[in-house]
Amino acid sequence: MSPGADLLAEIAARFAALSFMAIGGIMSILPEIHRVVVDVEGWMTSAQFAELFALAQLAPGPNAMIVALIGWKLAGVAGALVATIAACGPSSVVCYVAWHWVDRLRQSKVRVVVQRALAPIAIGLILASGYTLALGADRSPGAFAFTLVAAAALAWTRVNPVWVLLVAAGAGMAGLA
Amino acid sequence: MSEPEPAAASPLADITRAELFASFLKMGLLGFGGVLPWARRILVDERRWLGDREFAELIGLCQVLPGPNVVNLSVIIGARTHGPVGSLIALGGMLFVPVGVMLLIATFYASVAHEPLARNAIAGASAAAAGLILGTGIRLLRQARPPLRGLASGAAAFVAVGVLQWPLLWVLLVLIVVGVAAEWLASR
Repeated sequence: MSPGADLLAEIAARFAALSFMAIGGIMSILPEIHRVVVDVEGWMTSAQFAELFALAQLAPGPNAMIVALIGWKLAGVAGALVATIAACGPSSVVCYVAWHWVDRLRQSKVRVVVQRALAPIAIGLILASGYTLALGADRSPGAFAFTLVAAAALAWTRVNPVWVLLVAAGAGMAGLA
Repeated sequence: MSEPEPAAASPLADITRAELFASFLKMGLLGFGGVLPWARRILVDERRWLGDREFAELIGLCQVLPGPNVVNLSVIIGARTHGPVGSLIALGGMLFVPVGVMLLIATFYASVAHEPLARNAIAGASAAAAGLILGTGIRLLRQARPPLRGLASGAAAFVAVGVLQWPLLWVLLVLIVVGVAAEWLASR
């Protein structure tokens, strides 16, 4: 076994367990990923976590790509592939097995009730993600202002988030963050 | 562009593996700042594989199932066209470019990460990225307008997981049981 094999196995186990908890998408488990990666494992600081998240937002593709970047940070290209497969694999198997059955419940009361119950929980978890990231990223009043402006832009306008990130990166370069 | 006339039966049956891969590749490639709008554009407007309503129902389905929504979308559309192989093809197409681009960005980041200018840019972007997620949550909240019981479970999720940083599994178990019970009682 190479020295990295233990780490890869741990990355796989951690992300596979999280995969099942991603109700409503990957943003629901971001605070939990942060808790495991920063607080439990001590693999990186909260600020580094927020930086990786920003980089992940700049790339195309699903938000789930943040796990590829975390895997890369820990164990290079192999880490990125293992983390991506572990985070998407188990939930995909559940989805493959269950979608037909859940689809047939479309009109049933059970499905409607579960969907209504899950929706606000998922929104609460998305806000918890933003809060967790802000704690890591906002180390100055300027940075805090960036967070507020970006939040307002996304909540009340139709601007593409990539532009918000690029403008913020430019303003950061100018020393405003 | 494909022909303007949508087929009467489900057009999903006639999709070749190459078409399946190509369309999900395109979604992953173009999906800057979120894949879902592109998924809709490509699957509904461009290829006409799904109707508007069918697409909306599919997204609802993806949201009830665990896992990233667009990943689930790939799995389901792949499954409906070519079974398990189809799911793998769609998933591979969706994730192929993003993972590659991510590795390029990561490598670039590693090479410039200690430059002061790059540090400042990343500080600005990461502060804004946190705001983007908060803004997304606020937008969703405004659209959903949950009743008081929903607001309570959303607030509980935010405080327990965000502020108190409790382990997600236990918070989810409790909130889902309580939330489903509350919705069930309210719907009687």
